[in-house]
Amino acid sequence: MDKHLIFYAMFIPSMILFFWGMWFRVSLYLQGTLEGAEGLAPWGKLRILLGRGWKGFWKRPCWYLRTLVVEVLFHRRLFNQSFFRWLAHTLLVFGFIATFVVDMIKGFTTGYLVEWSRSIPFFAFAHAFETGRIRPFLDFSLEFFSFLILAGCVLAIIRRFFIRPDQLRTEEEDIVTLLFILYLELSGFLIEGYRIAHPEVVTNQVYMANFTPLSANNWISFFGYFLSLFMKGINLNPHFLWYAHVIPSLVWIVYIPHSKLLHIFTSSVTVIADRAKEKLQA
Amino acid sequence: MDLSKLSPKQLLEIDACTRCGECLNFCPIYSQRGEEGINPRGKIQAMKKFIRGQYGLWAKLFGPKKLSEEAVKKFSEMVYHCTLCGECGLQCPVSIDSRNLWLALKEVLVDLGHYPKNIGLMKNNILSRYNVSGEDNALRVEWLEAMEGLPDHKYQKEKAEVVFFVGCVSSYYPMAHKIPQSFIRILDRLKIDFTLLGGAEWCCGFPLIGAGFKKEVQKLIQHNIEGVKEKGANSVIFSCPSCYHTWHEDYKTDLKLLDSTQFILKLIQEGRISFNEGRIKVTYHDPCDLGRVSGVYEAPRAILRAMPGVEFVELPNHAEHCKCCGGGGLLEMVDPELGAALAREKIKEIQGTGAELVITSCQQCVRTILSTARKMKIPLKVMYITEFVLKYMK
Repeated sequence: MDKHLIFYAMFIPSMILFFWGMWFRVSLYLQGTLEGAEGLAPWGKLRILLGRGWKGFWKRPCWYLRTLVVEVLFHRRLFNQSFFRWLAHTLLVFGFIATFVVDMIKGFTTGYLVEWSRSIPFFAFAHAFETGRIRPFLDFSLEFFSFLILAGCVLAIIRRFFIRPDQLRTEEEDIVTLLFILYLELSGFLIEGYRIAHPEVVTNQVYMANFTPLSANNWISFFGYFLSLFMKGINLNPHFLWYAHVIPSLVWIVYIPHSKLLHIFTSSVTVIADRAKEKLQA
Repeated sequence: MDLSKLSPKQLLEIDACTRCGECLNFCPIYSQRGEEGINPRGKIQAMKKFIRGQYGLWAKLFGPKKLSEEAVKKFSEMVYHCTLCGECGLQCPVSIDSRNLWLALKEVLVDLGHYPKNIGLMKNNILSRYNVSGEDNALRVEWLEAMEGLPDHKYQKEKAEVVFFVGCVSSYYPMAHKIPQSFIRILDRLKIDFTLLGGAEWCCGFPLIGAGFKKEVQKLIQHNIEGVKEKGANSVIFSCPSCYHTWHEDYKTDLKLLDSTQFILKLIQEGRISFNEGRIKVTYHDPCDLGRVSGVYEAPRAILRAMPGVEFVELPNHAEHCKCCGGGGLLEMVDPELGAALAREKIKEIQGTGAELVITSCQQCVRTILSTARKMKIPLKVMYITEFVLKYMK
């Protein structure tokens, strides 16, 4: 069966479960009492909260965007508390966001625009994203940002399991979260290493195809290339490799609302709310 | 467990805690006890467990877990063992407004009937006698009797521009009487048109809010605002930082509210107060409710800097990092020994500065530090800032 079809057959239910999980959490928060919206149903409270947020944002959009970048993405307070923690956290956050953005661009241009360009010539520029000049930049960005995630994850593992500061208390959830990220990154790089090491195996499997010129692999896919050096003599089932990366990635998305990973969203809200309160008081 | 005692933001904050443990380095209670259950992270995790047991995915599918009396009792001990100093929130990397979260958790516990007995007595005192001590509220201004040369109105005028809201501790606890006495001497000497509310002053409601009885304070708020309005005043000044904060946060009034330090600084800046030269080395202890909670750090320092000959040295932990003296958050009622242990730490810190005198702007801090120093037989001098100002005022 076509791998795109299989992917969407898994991806769509995963996203439904993710959004259901998020709504499950949000509906729990909406059981709290919201000043000025007492007695309203959860949807009513949500509407009021979103309205307040929207209104607040448009009062000073630049300030909110700056706060989002400085205080949430680059976590200024953490920087002042511990450089090591800040570095690990920032590598993870920045790596995930940048990978997500580049992946979206790559997926949309090569997956949709190229297809549409067959009937709408205007979209012909998308070929530059698939096989043209832009492609090496996309591939390099993905490699680089994914490597940042891996580096951040390794630093976090070193801190939690080897440095072990007194303030940390490791629970099952912490181990699962870190090992999950480590696995996703390593499995992704292993696929890349495998396809570089075995170009003959993947030529007929578009989902694993490598558009990077072979001569450029060593710098565009630097970490995958490094791993490929050890994989030349190893033969694996490429379908298995693909499933072994994609299924856990989707499970991870579904896991977010029910784990400490939820803080990606919740702590962003608490930090922005705190700075907005400070700003109002000032 | 009723989640309506918390706001949506507070419920979200419980999920935002990543258990990083940054708060542990700053929690005064944890520094003494070292128990996971008693620190901010432990409290949030315990609440999260309750919420998951009652409202989580498992609870939705198979029904909520029965709340164990033992678990709630333990949780109550955790939540009430807190000075409400607010340092955990200030240090929290994800900016959880923990002080307000602790107050909301106390409301949940009150709703479940799990709160310390002493707190129940205090609540009854306030609701029946309108003050925290349980004495007749008409005795609120008894401290005036020790003052010489009182005017006929005994500072309880029909009308005045400014109301001095004294607060329960300064009114009823002899160790703190010098605070309002010195403050009204200053006001009197500068011919400020002020009045006290006398027996018509009721507890501001802070002890009730701090204990989890927030819904009971409306009557007190209403009464106090009416009392001030009847005097025709446009400003209220406070010598108690907890009253000052409560008025700011919960009274929703258009009256001008000033802490004693802000008011005195204003008078200094207007050139109405000048000082004789002193020769003294002092340090300053920031009360939690004035500093971290209300954000007033500069006014007391500016006053001390304006006094010639006064050598001002900071405590090693000062301003937003100032450690609670142990007198906050009703800890004195819940676990006096723990409060005293914090006060002993504070005293050591003060002694380390080599200052002859520690100045503060909170009657509760004066009482806590002074009484612990006396128990330790340490001749430490503690003064409320108005006493110090009066001493050197020309």
